[in-house]
Amino acid sequence: MLADERDDTDEVLAARAAAGEASAFEALVTRYQTRVFGLACRLTGNENDAADVMQDTFLQAYRHLASFRGEARFGTWLYRIATNAALMQRRARVRRPSESLDAFLPAFDEAGVHRATPQELSVANHVEELLDRESLAAKARDAVDRLPDSCRAAFVLRDLEDLTTAEVAEVLGIEPAAVRQRVHRARLLLRGYLNALAGGCT
Amino acid sequence: MSTTCQSGVDLLMDYLEGVLAPEVQAALEQHVAGCPKCTAFVASYREAPRVLRDATIAALPANRAAELREFLRSKTDVFRKR
Repeated sequence: MLADERDDTDEVLAARAAAGEASAFEALVTRYQTRVFGLACRLTGNENDAADVMQDTFLQAYRHLASFRGEARFGTWLYRIATNAALMQRRARVRRPSESLDAFLPAFDEAGVHRATPQELSVANHVEELLDRESLAAKARDAVDRLPDSCRAAFVLRDLEDLTTAEVAEVLGIEPAAVRQRVHRARLLLRGYLNALAGGCT
Repeated sequence: MSTTCQSGVDLLMDYLEGVLAPEVQAALEQHVAGCPKCTAFVASYREAPRVLRDATIAALPANRAAELREFLRSKTDVFRKR
């Protein structure tokens, strides 16, 4: 890689790559490979599928560089390709149906008051002290995998990849209000899941 | 209509994103401030995404990065020796 390519913006590199400069595309791969792999791991739940998704993502990006016109940011455009590739990968896999997380939604009495006590409601905050790193990582992967398809990508992009709600809306091609709705549902399910994991009530 | 725990929970995402109408936001804040259950719930609602983010961080193994380059070399004209 040429020294100056480390300083060029994504959009400059993308334009040069589209004009046929292989080294500019290589610089983009180097810049984004870890992020794309991380996103793919979170969306597919395993490293092998994530590696396939990563390869597919960069191949598609390369082939469609001409259609990237700089209207979106390059990162958003690439995330859209990666998210779609991960969705295809999930569909191609024969999976046993995963158990719904609905049991972890908060429970209220007839008056709309939380059934659990404050102590029971907040044990999720201690889950990191109760489980070792590896068990927690496995449980976390499993939980994200068990989210409804409708809200997994929105949650992963918004809360795990730290995109803004507007960026997630752009990646998924939906309204910001729909992003908030999906992320909220995922947060409720996962909060309850972690709370149960730590021995509390939802 | 006064805010209950249940109606408050429905508003949490919009609250944290700052998109609630001011009077709805004020009612929610008032309820949570006086409700230890909701205070606990909100804390765990905010904390859960961070726990999951930290627990799902994946490093890119060197062999996967090498495979990616090999794959792109086989399909395109990038990562070739020049």
